[in-house]
Amino acid sequence: MNNQELANRLIGRGRRMGASEVEVFIQNSRNLSIRVRNEDIETVQEAASGGVGFRVIVDGGLGFSHCNDFSDRALNDTLEQAIAFARLTTPDEHNTLPSDKPHQDVAGLYDASIVNIAMDKKIDMALELEAHAMKDPRITHSSGASFGEGETEVLVANSKGLLKIYRSSVCSVGVSVVAEKGDQRHTGWESCARRFFDDLESLEKIGMEAAKKAYEMLDPRMVSTQRAAVIFDPAVARSLVGGIIAAINGERVLQGASFLKDSMDERFASELLTIIDDGLRPGGLGSKPFDGEGVPTATRTLVEQGVLRGFLFNTYAANRAGVDSTGNASRSGFTGLPSIGTHNLYLKAGPDKAEDILANTQRGLLLKGVTGYGINPVNGNYSGGASGFWVENGRIVHPVQGLTIGGSAHDILNNIDMMADDLDMNRSFSAPTFRVREMQIGGA
Amino acid sequence: MNSKDFSAGMMPRRRFLELGLKSGIAIAVAPPLLSNLVSCSRPIELSGPGLDMDKAVLNRVIAKALRQGGDFADVYIETRHSRQIVMEESSFKSGLYGISQGAGVRVISGDKTGYAYTEEVTEENLLRAAEVASYVARNGKTIQPVEVKSASRLSFVTVKRPLEDIADSRRIEIMERANQAALDYDPRIRMALIDYNDQVRGRVIANSEGLYLRDELPLLFFIVQTMSDDGVSRHMSRERISEHSGFELFEKDTPEAVAQRAARESIAMLDARDAPAGTMDVVMENGFGGVLIHEAVGHPLEADNIARGIGAFTGKMGQKVATDVFTMVDDGTLPNFRGTINFDDEGTQAQRNVLIDKGVLQGYMTDILSARQLDLPRTGNGRRESFRHFPIPRMTNTFIEPGKDTPEDILADTRSGIYVQSLSGGSVNPVTGIFNFTCREAYIIENGRKTYPIKGATLIGSCLGVISNIDAVANDLAFGPGICGKGQMAEVTAGQPTVRIRGINVGGSRS
Repeated sequence: MNNQELANRLIGRGRRMGASEVEVFIQNSRNLSIRVRNEDIETVQEAASGGVGFRVIVDGGLGFSHCNDFSDRALNDTLEQAIAFARLTTPDEHNTLPSDKPHQDVAGLYDASIVNIAMDKKIDMALELEAHAMKDPRITHSSGASFGEGETEVLVANSKGLLKIYRSSVCSVGVSVVAEKGDQRHTGWESCARRFFDDLESLEKIGMEAAKKAYEMLDPRMVSTQRAAVIFDPAVARSLVGGIIAAINGERVLQGASFLKDSMDERFASELLTIIDDGLRPGGLGSKPFDGEGVPTATRTLVEQGVLRGFLFNTYAANRAGVDSTGNASRSGFTGLPSIGTHNLYLKAGPDKAEDILANTQRGLLLKGVTGYGINPVNGNYSGGASGFWVENGRIVHPVQGLTIGGSAHDILNNIDMMADDLDMNRSFSAPTFRVREMQIGGA
Repeated sequence: MNSKDFSAGMMPRRRFLELGLKSGIAIAVAPPLLSNLVSCSRPIELSGPGLDMDKAVLNRVIAKALRQGGDFADVYIETRHSRQIVMEESSFKSGLYGISQGAGVRVISGDKTGYAYTEEVTEENLLRAAEVASYVARNGKTIQPVEVKSASRLSFVTVKRPLEDIADSRRIEIMERANQAALDYDPRIRMALIDYNDQVRGRVIANSEGLYLRDELPLLFFIVQTMSDDGVSRHMSRERISEHSGFELFEKDTPEAVAQRAARESIAMLDARDAPAGTMDVVMENGFGGVLIHEAVGHPLEADNIARGIGAFTGKMGQKVATDVFTMVDDGTLPNFRGTINFDDEGTQAQRNVLIDKGVLQGYMTDILSARQLDLPRTGNGRRESFRHFPIPRMTNTFIEPGKDTPEDILADTRSGIYVQSLSGGSVNPVTGIFNFTCREAYIIENGRKTYPIKGATLIGSCLGVISNIDAVANDLAFGPGICGKGQMAEVTAGQPTVRIRGINVGGSRS
């Protein structure tokens, strides 16, 4: 029996057991992970796995169960558990499953050839990547290099006649190295992930970038506590944008747990800030033809020139809000209920050149690394640990680490005054370089 | 708690997680009864022998794993029954039940590890996994495996009211009590989010040294978040309790008490003002503040990065790394604690490990591989999230030993700075030792007294810096439960008495 037949049979069985609505989510995947260090293999891990998640609604109550045993008996008992739970939870008229709406396929999500590439070649790639990263004499240790691949088939089916399947693949390489000088140690890592094997970037480029990130941090100096400009490198933009995304999660908005809950169609950020979520980008690492409950994905402008234009909804939250699902149900495998998330999220490129942003900064921080939780989505408070380079008179003068940055989302987002054009779309979250005119920096 | 080690920080692994190739058990949970549908006191039967796998089969799998070479092999079989009930906005929003089983085979050859797992636990699949795992050992030296024999280990977990015997109506009642207590605390408490989780994990460990162990561990995890809103500001707070325990946990610490602690913080923080930025002294209240040393000192003392020669404490064994008042312990034997494991996921007996004794570095936390590489004893820290992961060195219950000061004296003796009452969590780069953690509830100290609350600020520093700047340790040791991520999850507790740290950089929004 194939998975489609299995799904249909399980839906029928759930209905007979008393569920008014039944969803079957089946995910099967295979992955390989190779890690090398000091010119030899450190670990090789390989596995195939899969399982079934049941979401059922009984008289408005919601139950969920999952199981990775495909035997008839285990599936039956697991389904029964979901139904038992649904009888226990509070009836809510907004608990419904989506109807079958046609979706468009997204090109470039599945490379069937990755699995056929010899294991030895994949190991050699990781070894070569490590060698490139170790070439510079300032690099003293390798933390390892890796090759990883995975492929996944997702099936979503429900009792409203929806049945959809798609396959996707990903392969990736990465390396992490250490630069040392006296008692100082700095780590640098770089990676590249693509849907298709042939699209991976040059190993030499990735390796040299990892090395550079480590050695360019040697000999950092402290600066005093002050207010100054902060230039956000694309790699750290997420620390600001992640909090915005969490704050426009439709369910949190409905619960009042969001600093943007009352901001729809209002300007809350600089005109330079436009945020787009694209589920359909060909080959995109976050692309998918339909979301975690089978609703077609779309390309949506969430923030347009600083004005909030859209919240993110799955079917349940959309029902509560009285709108249609935006196709943002996200699912982390077969073991949980759909939550809410984005696909390929990016900040629209701006007019400036990254080098001009630097050249126009009298004094400030070029931010390369952040730690902490980013913007607090409930109250908009921001605080983080910071590292990068200190800028004086439009030039980098020395590395800095152990700094902090802080402020309110309102102040920070309205103070974005330069946006660069260096947008690289090859990640599921992408941003160009941008500058916040002034932020509080904590130092000595 | 998030350790930014190589694998956690690497894009590949993260991508895999996003794609759902992950274990899936983010928070796990166990089986009970349903109000109207009798129950699952009859546990769901899985296909295949699972934990009952015959020892003769395990011997054959281990032999197969070592056929191409290798100096150690083990088999790990796991079943997990988990249960989660979520209450939001006074409604029981969802109930989740999960069963998962699988087995992994590992081969170690020198510094190399091969690992493969299967979800259908049959001899045929285990042999196939053994063959895949043995790939790394090609042309390595070979050992003759010892036939497995049942061994015994001390247990530190006692259960009075087994989770399997608890009707779901009682779980629901606990959640309702917590919800009511939160809402009754103050009209400005607008919402409570209550997350009840329990699970029972069964495991079998068999290895080429002849070890065979089998046990079952229950785990309860109860989380109350409350949100206050006074029309001007808003604060979400969190309170968690967790033990390897039966339902008696709620007699020790009632759901009302948990909810009231969360609600108290939510209300207190409505008055929070902007935090200052820059370097200042910090007094950390006893309890989960121990996450500071979990991140700053604990992760860098895990032996994997020491064996790689890159950890921040590499080559510092026997050296003075902290002040005399600082003694730090990892102890997997504290009765019923969330981080307690009886024996680790490689079968090593859990024990009390003194890591730093009066400022002198005494020990690293090892798993089998790093213990071999460093020629150190096995400390019982080889842990794994599930059968989908191979073991790595992890903490259990990690804490600073109590000192002689009183918390009142430490505060009174601090002219100015920040008093940190609760933390959201933190992370560390175990190579550079740079850590961060984020305050949830904190106050300004003026002239030795706690004054007004400040908004959640990030605190950062370096591990060697922070432990040499802890200059006062109180006598009020307490603990809090946590989830630690290092490419895979582990349940832990972090503990500490009230301590003072001189000169930490605070990420405020004003000077």
